[in-house]
Amino acid sequence: MPDTITFKIKRQDSENTKPYWETFVIPHVPNSNVISCLMDIQANPENSKGEKVAPVVWDCNCLEEVCGSCTMVINRKVRQSCSALVDQLEKPITLEPMSKFPVIRDLAVDRSRMFGALKKVQAWVTADGYHDLGPGNREPQSHQEIAYKLSECMTCGCCLEACPQYSLNNNFLGAAAISQTRLFNMHPTAKNIADERLDTLMQEGGIADCGNAQNCVEACPKSIPLTESIAEIGRQVSGKLWSNIFQAK
Amino acid sequence: MDSHFLMRRIHSLTGVVPVGLFLVYHLYLQLYLHSGAETYNAEVNSFYDSPLAIWTLVIVVYIPLFFHAFLGVRLIFESTVQPSYTYFSHLLYWLQRISGVGVLLFILAHVWNTKFGPWISGTWGTHFEHLSSGFSDPESGIITKTVYLLGVLGAVFHFANGLNTFCMTWGIALTPKSQIRVRIFSILLFFILSASALYALSAIW
Repeated sequence: MPDTITFKIKRQDSENTKPYWETFVIPHVPNSNVISCLMDIQANPENSKGEKVAPVVWDCNCLEEVCGSCTMVINRKVRQSCSALVDQLEKPITLEPMSKFPVIRDLAVDRSRMFGALKKVQAWVTADGYHDLGPGNREPQSHQEIAYKLSECMTCGCCLEACPQYSLNNNFLGAAAISQTRLFNMHPTAKNIADERLDTLMQEGGIADCGNAQNCVEACPKSIPLTESIAEIGRQVSGKLWSNIFQAK
Repeated sequence: MDSHFLMRRIHSLTGVVPVGLFLVYHLYLQLYLHSGAETYNAEVNSFYDSPLAIWTLVIVVYIPLFFHAFLGVRLIFESTVQPSYTYFSHLLYWLQRISGVGVLLFILAHVWNTKFGPWISGTWGTHFEHLSSGFSDPESGIITKTVYLLGVLGAVFHFANGLNTFCMTWGIALTPKSQIRVRIFSILLFFILSASALYALSAIW
């Protein structure tokens, strides 16, 4: 029996063309991951019918599951392809681009909506001016432990791909941006504009669009406590709702 | 804060207060089915004898209930079906939506059956006889019983699970540990309310 691996890949030639499935059979290399297999296909882009085709396009960068760029849907579930070891996957292996982002080509998608969401919630430390502001406020150890975990978010999109409330047709900001809001709202300096971040999350597309399906926390490759972040931001906006009503300016 | 956010929060709130609390009270009242026709009819009629009865129903039950239902049905169309993510919470997410639609249809049939039907036919007041004859009808009885069973269990599920997500939405249960506690509580609540409802129904089964 020849030792081969079959890949079924959902391909799309450009942003506006129809997707189609193509099968590739490549020699099995022990301990390979999905990316090394895609590289093998790239080296010899021949489909299972023996036709020469354009090589499959995908995104990748760090190859150690910290950048998030190689995120795709592998065997119907979203994950990073660099850490998807072929020997542990059910065969044939199906590869699809994420369905919640516009496809650029084949497995490469445009995730700029995620970056847009981070800009909307102002997921940064605000420090205006070039003058010396002195040392920042000290962060308590108890905060550091939570903040470190939250800061591991690599904006990969797994939480959004798995979320039944996030789609191409709406403007939900999603779990990643909500969790980053929690991170910066607890930062001793960045929390100066905590109210502005909550204001953004109290608009259409904000936290109210969460449906509590909790797929995000299951899909997160970094095990970030996303449902805890959503509940914490839920608590913060509940407080703001209260003050909007009873301490109205 | 925009109206979208406010509507969602009112939707979440109305599901518990007052609609959820009304469900608990309503299920409690049905336990009188075991006390016989006379007591049951007297209990139900004593509520309707109040001059505020109709206003209480409209303001405390109908308006919040149908607001909750109207927005809830709209919410379903925002969901994407993703069968490959087979997690328990995801299953509950869909059961919540399916039970919501089912319970809405049940409530419409239930209100017709127990209110408008008797009003039109002029048999209003003999609630026990109306219910038990509907249940024991040789032809439609089995359908009525099935609809009531599914409707009541669906309503109890929708309330118990809704209370669980309510605690997350409002930021009451923050950590995974406390979220599990709330989930255990909601599961217990589901079984207690179901047992109470099934016991009440057994009086006229």
